[in-house]
Amino acid sequence: MNDRAENTLLVLPGLALLALAFFVPITQMLILSVSGDDGPTLAHFTRFLGDPYYLGVLWRTVRLSVLITLICAAIGFPLAYIMARVGPRLRLWLIVLVILPLMTSVVVRTFGWMVLLSRSGLIPDMLRDLGLVGRNFAIMQTETAIVIGMVQVLLPFMTLSILGIVTRIDPRLEEAARTMGCSFLQSLRTVVLPLAVPGIIAGSLLVFTLSASSFVTPNLLGGARIQVLAASIYRSVTQTLDWPFAAAQAVILFVGILLILVPYARLAGGRSNG
Amino acid sequence: MVKSISTPLRIATMVFVVFTAIFLLAPLVVVVGVSVSESQFIAFPPSGFSLRWYEEVLGSDAYVGAAWISLRVAILVTITATVVGGAAAIALHRRKLPFSSALATFFLSPLVLPTIIYAIGMLMLWSAIFGPVSIVTLWLSHTVVTIPYVVRTTLAVLSESNPFLEEAAQTMGASRLQRLWLVVVPQCRPGLIAGAFFAFNISFDEAVLALFLRKPGLTTLPVQIYGQLEFSPDPSVAAVSTIMIALTITLILVIDRMLGVQKFASA
Amino acid sequence: MADVRLTQIKKSFGQVEVLHGITLDIVSGEFISLLGASGCGKTTLLRIVAGLEGVTSGTVEIAGRDVTELPPEKRDISMMFQSYALLPHLSVSENVRFPLRMRKIGSRDEQAEKVRDALETVQLGHLADRKPRQLSGGQQQRVALARAIVSRPQVLLLDEPLSNLDARLREDMQVELIEIHKRLGLTSIFVTHDQEEALSLSDRVVLLNGGKVEQEGAPSEIYSNPATGFASNFLGAANLLPATLSQTSGGRAAKLEDGQVIPIEAGEDGDVTLSLRQEDATLCADGEGALSGVVAARIYLGARNRYVVKVAGHEVRVLTGTEDVFESGTRVGLKIDPARVRVLPRD
Repeated sequence: MNDRAENTLLVLPGLALLALAFFVPITQMLILSVSGDDGPTLAHFTRFLGDPYYLGVLWRTVRLSVLITLICAAIGFPLAYIMARVGPRLRLWLIVLVILPLMTSVVVRTFGWMVLLSRSGLIPDMLRDLGLVGRNFAIMQTETAIVIGMVQVLLPFMTLSILGIVTRIDPRLEEAARTMGCSFLQSLRTVVLPLAVPGIIAGSLLVFTLSASSFVTPNLLGGARIQVLAASIYRSVTQTLDWPFAAAQAVILFVGILLILVPYARLAGGRSNG
Repeated sequence: MVKSISTPLRIATMVFVVFTAIFLLAPLVVVVGVSVSESQFIAFPPSGFSLRWYEEVLGSDAYVGAAWISLRVAILVTITATVVGGAAAIALHRRKLPFSSALATFFLSPLVLPTIIYAIGMLMLWSAIFGPVSIVTLWLSHTVVTIPYVVRTTLAVLSESNPFLEEAAQTMGASRLQRLWLVVVPQCRPGLIAGAFFAFNISFDEAVLALFLRKPGLTTLPVQIYGQLEFSPDPSVAAVSTIMIALTITLILVIDRMLGVQKFASA
Repeated sequence: MADVRLTQIKKSFGQVEVLHGITLDIVSGEFISLLGASGCGKTTLLRIVAGLEGVTSGTVEIAGRDVTELPPEKRDISMMFQSYALLPHLSVSENVRFPLRMRKIGSRDEQAEKVRDALETVQLGHLADRKPRQLSGGQQQRVALARAIVSRPQVLLLDEPLSNLDARLREDMQVELIEIHKRLGLTSIFVTHDQEEALSLSDRVVLLNGGKVEQEGAPSEIYSNPATGFASNFLGAANLLPATLSQTSGGRAAKLEDGQVIPIEAGEDGDVTLSLRQEDATLCADGEGALSGVVAARIYLGARNRYVVKVAGHEVRVLTGTEDVFESGTRVGLKIDPARVRVLPRD
């Protein structure tokens, strides 16, 4: 046995598994998305793109995903920065704070929000008691509920992505900026933020992808009326049993994600290189 | 914290952290609260205290059966993903194979593709070839999505190890197998452990693949909970959920013991 | 202990040939240094002896046996790495026992005994149960040495093992290495880029340049009689001056590029390079020395001064005492003993 043989033996099981149980299924799905009763067809795509209902679903998915990504970045950056700069004990607690929800099943966390946001739940009750909203106020089954739930689900991903970059920023750079006359917030904006851009971008790509492709939380918090694309795919698979149409929607979802992410990643790559 | 920060800013920071903490933990706390309620209905804050919902869960065939399936799948997945992913990472780290960087990308690709897309493909392929899904379907697909985590954590650990250890062992007379088992694998240990925890946690909590690849009698715990939430939630769901949260906390404690949570979070 | 014989070793990486046919005989018990700048092929040559690198052509023999095709684990060698390469998951004593375990030398008890001995040799007996990361750099280095000698290999290979230590530890280790070599008499090949280290440790120095042996010999011989400009420059920070040797009216002399002349007895007529060590010249008032030049810089070194003097358009470094001080820009004379000037063929 030589080195080449040893290394080949080591990668082979994984290679075979991924090829057969990952790439073949995806290929199968791609084929199914263009197959009709009478050979290859684009009918499933034209059906989706020609139907205002589905276009509405697509638009809602993009809109909510962008919003969720922005909110996650807005909370995640300061949180990550604070985590990187506090003492080790507090940092440990903050990491647990982020990891604990991350490692808890999405189903369980969504359930928590269902309880909090339901008609008689804690949050609507509080808002009613404060007189901020009317008697018939409800959050459940609204887009707001989806956004709140999804931000909580995805914030840990964003925070950890940014944290990975921010911990590598030398605190002396900020001190140097301070000695050159920056206020604390200015040093944050002119030194830390630009250096953290790669982390924010990585986190945004991740959060956007996860957000656009999730259906568990949107289904449970948004209900049947407020459909997002992934939920519609799930329905096509399990309820209407229209698999080719489900496959076509999945392709649209993936292409849509790529169409938004590739220019974004390129833009960001160009910026951080320049 | 960086010194010389004005007091108002300091206070604002603390308020921000507290609010974020409440936001992140609230759903978990609420679930735990509901689970000990005496009431028939889901209510928070809970009315009274009782463990009846836990009794109900432990006596329920549906929940216990689902938990058993989840546990079996998660253990199988942890073992296969760790062995297969770890072995691949060792070979990838050596960069001796042709196209090794392309291979590395290949092994990480399941991380990039949204799970729902993979789930449809797996369901369609399996049905076309083997007919109804089985626990094997779930095992294979969970292994596929967890392998990248093992590969990533193991590669990270290897990249920090001394690149001359294998050669040194060779000059000391270690054979190929001895080098792999006595030198390389021990170097990988922290990465393999972290990867194994990822694999177990993801498989046990995962809902998307499990929802697509279910059939009567093949329901994992998250799917069982999801089903209850869609139709008739009662506090027993909260009790199961609390048990899952407790499992997660246990997992975090064990991870902290073995690796340190900080290291794990940066993987 | 054994002879090592390298015959016509050639090695290419892709299109690039890094070793151009090296032949070297190392006698049993000899301590030999492979000395050269980075990229000269010295580490590659060592790795070829170890078996970590194959040869493109040529043969490697250890103790009269052709081992060219044998992998490292089948050769009776041990190697000390620049980064020590201690196994981080094993304790100090387990690290030292590792080669005995792999090569199945002795029973468990005998192995324990040998490990104890080896650790005593490097004065680390008290740290046997520590993990490598709990040791200082110097201690890790000793563990690596103990591990390299514990199996009494036929050949001990050392790949710049001292280069990560600070100056003081380095000197201590050099003394220790010499003593251990004297006691065990292992055939040792030592790779270094530091000429002082090579000169002080070895029985023989092999100077490598561009994948070829530039010169080899005993340290004193190689230091006092460098054969080429490269050797003389590399071994002693010597000054090199181009000149032309010929018979003049006043005897044989070398004429520098600006016309200055110094009497030289050695060498053949024609274009040559004069080599002069910085400690072999002193400064004096202009006109009193053999050569004259202008002080370009004075560097204060504490006990000595180093002058950079421009002679015939070339910089000549001169190491002197601190009694006389010559300022920059002053024209000075250089006192030189013509017998100390080496005449090298023009490169």
